[in-house]
Amino acid sequence: MGLINKYGIYSSLVEKNSEKIHHLKEMAIYDKSVVSKRCDKKINNFIKSKELEINRLEFAILDLNEEVGSRLVSKMRIYNKFDYWARRFIIQRMRLRKYSESSVSKYETRLEKLNKHKWWFESKIRNCLTKQLSKYIVTDEAQKEEIRKSLVSLKESSKVEIEKYTKDIRKIEEEKISAIEEKLSKRIIKPQMNIEKYKEVLKTLKNDEELLDENIVLKVENLTMQFGGLKAVDNLSFEVKKGEIFGLIGPNGAGKTTVFNCITQFYKPTKGKLLFQEKSGNTITLTDYVVHDIVKKGIVRTFQNVEVVKEISVIDNLLVAAHSQYRSSLFTQFLHLPSLKKEELAMRKKAEEVLEFMGLSLYKDWLAWGLPYGILKKIEIARTLMNNPQLIILDEPAAGLNDTETAELTKLIRKIQDKYGCTILLVEHDMGLVMDICDTVCAISFGKLLAIGTTEEIQKNKEVQAAYLGTQEEE
Amino acid sequence: MGIADFLQPFASSLTYICVLVLATFAITLIFKTSATTNFAQGTVAALGCYVASTFLISKQWNIWLSLLMGIVFGILIGLFIDLVIFRNGRNVNLVGKQIITMGIVSILGNGIPMIWKYLAPPTFPGLTNQLNTPPIVLDIAGKSLTITVHSLICLGLTIAIIGVLFVLLKFSKWGLGVRTTASNEYVAQMMGVNTYAITAISWGIAGGLGALACVMFVGENGTLTNPFIMTEFQVNAFLAGILGGFGSFVGPVVAAVIIPVFETCVGFFANVESLRGITSWIKVISYVVVMIVIYIRPNGLFGKKVVKKV
Amino acid sequence: MEMKQYNKAPSMMFKKDNIIKQVLRKIINFLKSPIIYFVLMGIVLIVLGNLANKKIIPYSMSKTLATLVVYGIISIGFCLLLGYSGLASLGTAGFVGVGAMVAHIIIEKYPFYLYLGGQAINVSIFIALLGAIIVSIILGMFVGFISLRIEGMYLAILTLGLAEIIFQLLENIASILNGTATIKVSSSNAILWLTKLDNASKCALVTVIFVILLVLTQNLINSPTGRAMVTMKNSTSAAQAMGISLIKYRLLAFVISTVYAAIGGLLYITCVTSSLSTTDDPLLSLNTSLNILGAVIIGGSKSLWGVILGVMILFGIQPLFLNEIEFFEKNPSFMGLVSGILIVVIVMFFPGGLSQLFLELKLKVKRLFKKIKERMYGSY
Repeated sequence: MGLINKYGIYSSLVEKNSEKIHHLKEMAIYDKSVVSKRCDKKINNFIKSKELEINRLEFAILDLNEEVGSRLVSKMRIYNKFDYWARRFIIQRMRLRKYSESSVSKYETRLEKLNKHKWWFESKIRNCLTKQLSKYIVTDEAQKEEIRKSLVSLKESSKVEIEKYTKDIRKIEEEKISAIEEKLSKRIIKPQMNIEKYKEVLKTLKNDEELLDENIVLKVENLTMQFGGLKAVDNLSFEVKKGEIFGLIGPNGAGKTTVFNCITQFYKPTKGKLLFQEKSGNTITLTDYVVHDIVKKGIVRTFQNVEVVKEISVIDNLLVAAHSQYRSSLFTQFLHLPSLKKEELAMRKKAEEVLEFMGLSLYKDWLAWGLPYGILKKIEIARTLMNNPQLIILDEPAAGLNDTETAELTKLIRKIQDKYGCTILLVEHDMGLVMDICDTVCAISFGKLLAIGTTEEIQKNKEVQAAYLGTQEEE
Repeated sequence: MGIADFLQPFASSLTYICVLVLATFAITLIFKTSATTNFAQGTVAALGCYVASTFLISKQWNIWLSLLMGIVFGILIGLFIDLVIFRNGRNVNLVGKQIITMGIVSILGNGIPMIWKYLAPPTFPGLTNQLNTPPIVLDIAGKSLTITVHSLICLGLTIAIIGVLFVLLKFSKWGLGVRTTASNEYVAQMMGVNTYAITAISWGIAGGLGALACVMFVGENGTLTNPFIMTEFQVNAFLAGILGGFGSFVGPVVAAVIIPVFETCVGFFANVESLRGITSWIKVISYVVVMIVIYIRPNGLFGKKVVKKV
Repeated sequence: MEMKQYNKAPSMMFKKDNIIKQVLRKIINFLKSPIIYFVLMGIVLIVLGNLANKKIIPYSMSKTLATLVVYGIISIGFCLLLGYSGLASLGTAGFVGVGAMVAHIIIEKYPFYLYLGGQAINVSIFIALLGAIIVSIILGMFVGFISLRIEGMYLAILTLGLAEIIFQLLENIASILNGTATIKVSSSNAILWLTKLDNASKCALVTVIFVILLVLTQNLINSPTGRAMVTMKNSTSAAQAMGISLIKYRLLAFVISTVYAAIGGLLYITCVTSSLSTTDDPLLSLNTSLNILGAVIIGGSKSLWGVILGVMILFGIQPLFLNEIEFFEKNPSFMGLVSGILIVVIVMFFPGGLSQLFLELKLKVKRLFKKIKERMYGSY
């Protein structure tokens, strides 16, 4: 831990308060979304009810087409039933982890076919229903004329009413939203004042820590990790720039994963400095923190052998990843107070967004038990995105994937970088992937740095070639 | 207070130390080879002792022969646990193994009273009673120091057995296998070590040691009243294992000597008038002390820090 | 044009249907929430207790039910520890003893009174509950912190030792307080507020606390903490990487289980038996811890209903049905033997326990029905 660093304490206090503010803001955003959703629903319902009135009148003056086959009704029923069972079947099969890919795809193609012909069924069924609806239809011409007249006036009046109603509702919505904002601003005042207070203290203190340049996220300096007599990592130094994809390569046993474990504090390094820049711009020394605090600082990692919790559903896995963002106390959790429910819903929404981004929405409620390896890997990456990370560490993301899956992964990593704007640090054996996406590559062998540079530089480097292919003298 | 007065409590707790050393060694052996804490050690031992006492009392066998039968039975039970139960379980994890041993405690603890209810009184006279030798009395500075022959036999047996086992561990093929299995089971398998045989042998040895230890204890105590008679030793053996650190074999054995010696030392305070009541608090004190030591040195007195691979 | 109008027409026909369906769904959802079932179970237990007190059903039933409920309380705490956090403990009986001792000291020896409007209101049961919770939290923290810091597996070892130590301690304290080895809460002292507790109200008190604890546990399981515990059980490294502090949640699970055990002990001595011997009572022995473990494993360590089922099987069958049979009268430990065998077999072959078995059976039946329906409706 080293000596007590006053600067560090105060900056962590600032960090805590800003976290609080962030949480409050997120909750407020969620509240607002709920309010606007409700208002939209109200308006929609109103419009629908108005439309229904008009519909009824329109329907009443309709000329009926009597050619409807009643047997179609039964067919429609079959269609509905089958559609339902096919969906249920697929989901159940997946859940029970006893499905084979072929059987599922068979049902999926059937569903597609069904969907293609759905319009036909639907039109038939409607025809059929009109027969049943004939009691609603007016046949008297004079009455029809009357209805037509009233219909015109009704249409106009309903338009006006709808406009008025929408205005009213929007007004209420605005009021509610402003109330939420007011509440938020009131709540924020205290932590903000705290932040200012601490910042002023910070100005008077001198920072003993080295400050990182703005464009550098992670700086590894003279990192050494020793297991007994073995030096797994030996005097390694490199820097990771902001927003880049940094690849760490090396033959098996070169100590790549050990470097990752040192960064995420699974191992306490024997020697060396690990500096990291948080999202707020603070520079911290990673060795001052415990393993489970690292994620709060903005570093998230995946594992070589996927560590997805198989007893719980996919979305629960993502919620576990957001664990450090929950702020409700144990008491709240015991009683399931509304504040926890709100938090839970907000997180669930976020998780659903991430799942959709990763293309995993289908698997949302499935147990992670029988899912294929490629999807488990995706879930691991999705987990990292739940934490708004500054730095994502991927430990062999392509291991065990086939070529098409690897190509997909390449695209995905790019997409993540574009959308979340985070830095990515990865270890990989698949040279194609590394050379394809990495901006900077660092090659290590037996814990020592061989070369660092762009992909072309590394490809041309003699030492790296020797490490991978072996030199003739070694024979 | 003379030297004899000082030494007498230690001499009296000699059997206790021997029993504890044997129990600790057995538990450490299982911990190393099967990576689990064997809670059934005490009840398996008690079962061996029940068998031995049955042969001794109901069948009127020779004491040594019945002791041997008890040990053989202990070995068989140990082998049964490993070969039949552990080997056949589907994906049993570490906690699962622990729970299985707890289940065995429940089976034996409740089963033994049902079987031995109608047999002869389950007592096991001490080895000394059988050999009809009076206790040895030494004369030191005018005060007498009494050592029972039973405890001397126990000490001899224990030293011989533990010595042989340590030599085997150090130099034999089995010992090498145990050590490699302890460090990494899968690697050991890949290197051609038959880990199945090694764990089975270890369970057998543990069962045998348990039976011997229980017979020793009951021999001194004189009665075998219930199958949980060894619970106290089991608790202390586990504490010794943690105190010495499960990382090595020497650590737990040394700790198994330290704990009773410490308890005896605390017992001296009972001589002070105001601390008379301390005798009933000895167990509590030693437990708290062990906890404090573990707090300071989480990996035991002789243990090394182990780095887990992620 | 015509088509469009047709499109709109049926919507109003379906509208009515939808409202009914929505209401139905709401009712079903309300009924589906597990809390309702817990409350229902509680009501049934209280009614049974009352019936037994009026001797409509055998009088001994009320005592048996109270015993079962107390074991249930202890077991759900253990379920949280074993099923959700993957930790095993052998100190349950020790903490039960702690609860009993606190009850003895506060309810029997130094009862608390609240003077309201000239009436002396006995609140010692509440104070004792609070006391038991506090004492067990402190003890649990002490042992848990030291053992869980090293490794999860060490908890079982140190709690095994702890239980022995606690029995010794109880014996010492009892002899200091009373000069004898028994601790008791006599029925004249078991007063809640102003009323003396008879058998029916004792059963009711125990049941109310049981239902409250069940609901609390269910809530905790379905909250971030519950998920964190499951994650920790499955993969420690993933849990750490996700920001879950291992020691914090392990300790939490352990402390909760000790608190439940202590509450169980308190209720046992006040509502089931009036006196316990600290030297040779079957409750204060390793066997109790093992039986609780057995109940949790047999029922299914991840399901609260499974645990209740396990308690019913292990502690309920013998006093309710089998006591008349001679064999069981002669061998009171037979159920312990059965529990041991079941523990071994279930851990070996059915890690999910009986609840998992039932679930699989249910799914199989459902799948059968589905197949039949598929046949009936034919395939496309």
